[in-house]
Formats: sequence, structure tokens, C-alpha cells
Amino acid sequence: MKTKISKTSLLPWMFLALPLTMYLIWVILPVFQSMLFSLTSRDTIMYGQKKFIGLGNFIRLFQDSQFHLALYNNLIWLVFFVALPIPLGLGIAMLFNQDYKGARLYKTLFYIPMTLSFAVIGTIWTWIYHPDFGALNTLLRSIGWESAAKQWLGDKRYMTFALVFVGVWRQVPYVMILYLAGLKNIPDELVEASMIDGASWGQRFRHIIIPLLTPATIIAMTISVIDSLRAFDIVYVMTNTKARAAEVLASYMYSSAFHYQDYGYGSAIAVIQFIITFSFIVVYINSTLKNEVQR
Amino acid sequence: MKKALLVLTALMVLGTGLFAAPSELVINSYMSDEAPKQVFATVVAEFQKRNPDIKVTVNTTAHEQFKTLLPSWLTSKQAPDVVTWFAGYRMQAFAEKGLLEPIDTVFPGGSFESEFPSAFKTPSSYNGKIYFMPQSWYWWAVYYNKDVFKKLNLAIPTTQKEFYDVCDKLKAAGIAPIAIGAKDTWTAGGWFDYMDSAVNGGEFHVKLTKGTVAYTDPAVKKTFNYIAEMASKGYFMKNAASYSWQEAANVLFRGEAGMYLMGQFIKDVAPADVKDKIDFFKFPLFEGRKDYAVDTPTDGFMIPKNAKNKENAKKFLAFLATAEAQEMFCKPLGRLAANKKVAVPNEEAKRGLDMVLGAKTAMQFYDRDAPEEMAAKGMNAIVDIIGTPAQLDSILTALDKERVRIYAAQ
Repeated sequence: MKTKISKTSLLPWMFLALPLTMYLIWVILPVFQSMLFSLTSRDTIMYGQKKFIGLGNFIRLFQDSQFHLALYNNLIWLVFFVALPIPLGLGIAMLFNQDYKGARLYKTLFYIPMTLSFAVIGTIWTWIYHPDFGALNTLLRSIGWESAAKQWLGDKRYMTFALVFVGVWRQVPYVMILYLAGLKNIPDELVEASMIDGASWGQRFRHIIIPLLTPATIIAMTISVIDSLRAFDIVYVMTNTKARAAEVLASYMYSSAFHYQDYGYGSAIAVIQFIITFSFIVVYINSTLKNEVQR
Repeated sequence: MKKALLVLTALMVLGTGLFAAPSELVINSYMSDEAPKQVFATVVAEFQKRNPDIKVTVNTTAHEQFKTLLPSWLTSKQAPDVVTWFAGYRMQAFAEKGLLEPIDTVFPGGSFESEFPSAFKTPSSYNGKIYFMPQSWYWWAVYYNKDVFKKLNLAIPTTQKEFYDVCDKLKAAGIAPIAIGAKDTWTAGGWFDYMDSAVNGGEFHVKLTKGTVAYTDPAVKKTFNYIAEMASKGYFMKNAASYSWQEAANVLFRGEAGMYLMGQFIKDVAPADVKDKIDFFKFPLFEGRKDYAVDTPTDGFMIPKNAKNKENAKKFLAFLATAEAQEMFCKPLGRLAANKKVAVPNEEAKRGLDMVLGAKTAMQFYDRDAPEEMAAKGMNAIVDIIGTPAQLDSILTALDKERVRIYAAQ
């Protein structure tokens, strides 16, 4: 009897042993390694001349205007990623949640951007944004808005917004799918009962659908926040690897570490990015755990 | 379990056997443009023919990615045997870290000077040892569209005033005076080299790239003022930051732009019917100066310290150093061979060589003479100045802060 119990409790661990070890080696360990590297000078890792400089890299970060710019741009990404994809995704999901002819086709069409890699999306949008023969400016000129046709990816003032728009364009279908799944989980009886009680569409949306979609909203919100913080691919591809005015934390980390071989400084940026992202993840895990317990 | 172990051991034995057996030579190259890539392949094929027992592999990586990856290759235990690279500071930075193999003994004539002009020795050496085998070099100049100049009856400008005049006339005719593909920020680096040496002299510019002059120095500011002025006057093509260097070259080829400050390799990408319509002239003289400087980037090869097949690598470099192999590479591309026994390939190269020989200072290029990070940030700044000339002061102040930090860390 005794052996049986230990066997059943041991079994899941046996299955988990391999993936857990891999996770430990390739995810957890490097996180701590980066923290260690962030305290070292340039050339330390690549050329094996280890030199600890304490918080030197972090002090430099706080005085570095390019880092401030990266933080600020990440904030723009974050604000737009919360403000736009969530309501848009919900709206589109509501629209497609009804059964009518073609609903499935439209759903698929909306979902297609999700299936493309960031490199492909970036390349396509670079062409769309081209100031002289891109689709966007051609459209603006054809309706007489010559002055609105800007150099989207070359002009400091518009770069970040042009890139954020592409990110949002890809994020909306993702949120849509999350909400579609959430809507499927709302029991029909509840909706029908509210109709019998004479609730208007607005009342039903506010008091039944929105509260019942809370778990989906939390997931959508967290994923959007995390995606906005790790924005890199689009920036890297669409600025020809030279982020300049569109710098975000991830791109600055990449160029510091891999273009300029300053691994210490790159690691310090990574640590800051990790702390910011991690605090959002903690909030997310807390709220999901709370939900689980409530059920 | 036993069986699995047996298979594993067998695989490992087989593996080591595979790696050890044939004599190999791995070359990592950045020659990714079609023309140089093909010509280099013929040179490698010739070497292969003479050394049938060596298995040669050429890995080609696009130029910009190559620069990012090279440090990791050089430090890796699986380093390639030969890599393409640049003469001067960028090579010396690796030599200083002990990542390169000295090649003093490979030269077929017995010494470096038996093959190459002695002027090449300094940029090929570090601390008295030679680490770099120069292959070809080329010049930067103002390339222009001959048809456009003929149609508008424009003469080659030699001074700042004449240069501005040509720009004004081109602009009035609805043609962009100067093409620049600033999406590749190094195109702006050429402008910095030429403008600063034209305004302040080549020796001053060399000091600047060595880090001893501030970017906020009034003399440097004068240089940037000229660039900002030209930008404000609309001399640079519109939306330059959205064009890659080849896309901007097409604007010149089509006659929609008049001039383009570029390296000789612009000819590599010109279509056959346009090649003869594109010619070059020396960058105009500014501020009443008589002396001038030129960018003459020198390309060549190095052997990593961790190379697996050093003997083969040295054999290959010895072959590449010969007049025969250098001519094989340089003639079809119209470049100048580093080997002094090779004849100048054509009339144009002869003029290029004369221009270089008449220069007071020869530079490699901004991103070869300065540390990579400095050059990258400097070139970003120049692109920003061309885009928003009004912000010149704040851009230069930020740039100089970087200079102080970067050179302190070197």
C-alpha cells in the first residue's frame, strides 16, 4: 500500500523531470547568468576578461538618453497595445460570434495576420510605408491628402507610431480569438434568461457578457502587455536593424550586446526589461490563481 | 540500454573519423553581392584545382550580418580557417585581443614588401606582426550620371561654389541633386569622411576618428553645418532615410538624381546598359583648401587564432597574395589589386589610382577607422541631421557624450 502511494506521486515527477531540467538549464539559469553579466564590463564574456564593475552599467543606463528613449517608446507600445487591440478584438469577436453566412470566412481572414512571421509582416509593411511608391502614401495622394503622406519609417517623429500600428494590426486577431473562445463559454441559459427578463442589449453586454469575459480579458491584457514589452522583431526588420528614434528596450539590448560587443551593458538592459515584464507576470499569475481558487 | 550505448559510441567514433579524415579549408566570406561573389568563386575554384586534396567550403554571409557574427566566430573553438575583413583599426582591434594568427611567413616572395606597397604594411599589422593579407582596394568619389550632366550642360564641379551651383541647376530641372541611400546609414559615413576632410583637412579627420577631437569642436561643427545647410537647401534626395544604398543607386541610374557619393563598388550593381553612363569625379574642395583626402577601404583576409586547418589557410593566403590570383579577382570588378605587380585593370581605375596618389591623406572609412559603436552612433547622427538639420546642436552634444564614454572603454 505504501509503495503504491509513493509510486503514484512519483510518476508525474518522472514525466516532468526531463522538461523541468531543460527549463532549468535553458531558461532559469540564463536569467541568473544575465544578472551576473550585467555587473561586468564590456568584453567580459566574449573575450574572457572578467571584470566586475558593480552597478556601473546600471548607473550608465540611468544617464543614457538612448535608454530613456527606449523606455519611453516601450511605454507608447504598452499604452497602444492595451488601448486598441482589447476593445477592437472584443468588437470583432462580438460581430463574428453570431451565426450568419460567411462569418467563418471573415474570421479566417481576420486571423491570417497571426499566421505570418514578424519578419514577413515587417517586410510587407516596409513596402506599404515606402514614402514614394508605398500603398499608404499612394492612397493618401489619390484622395488629395498630399500633406498627410509622410516618410513613415525615416522621420523621427513618426517611426514609433508607424511600428506600433503594425504591432496592433497583428495583435487584434489574437485578442479576437481569445474573446471568441470566451464568448463560447458563456452559457446560453444566462443570455436567454436576461432576454426574458427584458434586459436591453446594452444591459446584457454590461452586466452579463463583460463580467463573464473577465478571465479572457485578463489573459488578453497580460499577453498584450508582455508582447508590447518584448517588441523587437518589427522594430529590427522595419528600421533595417538601426532602430534610431524607434529604439525599444529589446532592440537597444540587442545592438549593445551583439553589434557593439558590450555584453555587460546589454545584460543590464535585459535585466531591467526582465524586472518590468516579470512584475506584470506576477499580477497575471496572481489573478489567475485567485480565479482558480474561486471556482 | 546497452544497445543504445553501443549505437551512441559507434556514432561518436564515426563522427570523429569524419571530422579528422579529409584535409579541409573553411572560408567565411562577406562577399554577398552577386558580382564579387562570382569572381571570388572562380579564384577559389583555381585554388581547388591546384590543391585537389583540400576540401574547400565557402560560407557567404551578408555584409552587415557578417560584421555582427565575426566576433563570435573568432572566439569560438570552431573558428573558420579564413575570414574576409578590413585593414586598419577594425583588424587591429581583434589582433590586440589575441584572436588572430600572424601571417608573416606566407608571402610568396618571402616578405610583405615583395608583393605589396609598403604603405599597406601599417594597416595590415599590429605590434610588428602582420595579421592581414590585403587583396583589393577601391576609392570613394562623387559618381554622377553623364547623360544628366550633358543634358543640363553641367561642368564637373571642383570647388564648393561650383558644387552648390550644380546642385541648384539640378534642382531647378526637377532632378534630385544628390542621391543617398541613408537607410544604410554607412552611406552617410562617406559624407562625414569627405566633408570633414574637405573642410578641416585629412589629418584633422584622422584625429577625430581616433577619438581625440570632440564632436562639439567648432571645426567639426563647421563640417556638420555644411551637411545641414545642404540638407536645408534640399540638395539631398527626398525621403533618403527610406532608401537602401542600391535603391538610391537606381535613382541615379534612372537619371532622377544627378550625383551619388559612393564607393567604386557602385559599378557592381549597375545594369550593363548603364555602366558606361556613370562616371566619377573628386570630391570638391571646400574652404579654399588645395589638399584633399580620399577613402580607400582595403579588403582582404585573416586567419583566426582558433582556426582548425591553419596550414591549409596559409596555403590559401599564399595563393591569394600572388599577382595572378589578385588579378583574377580585381580585373573583372575594375578594382585595384593590392599586389603591386598587377597592372591597373582599366582606364577608369587608372584615374582612380591617380586621384588616390594625389591625395594628402588616405582614410579607410569612418566605420573602419573608428570603433564600431562610435561609427554606428555617428552615422545615425548624420542621418538625423540630414532629416532634421535644425536639431544639429542637440544631436552633436549627445554624440560627444558617447565619444567620451566609448573611447574611455577601448
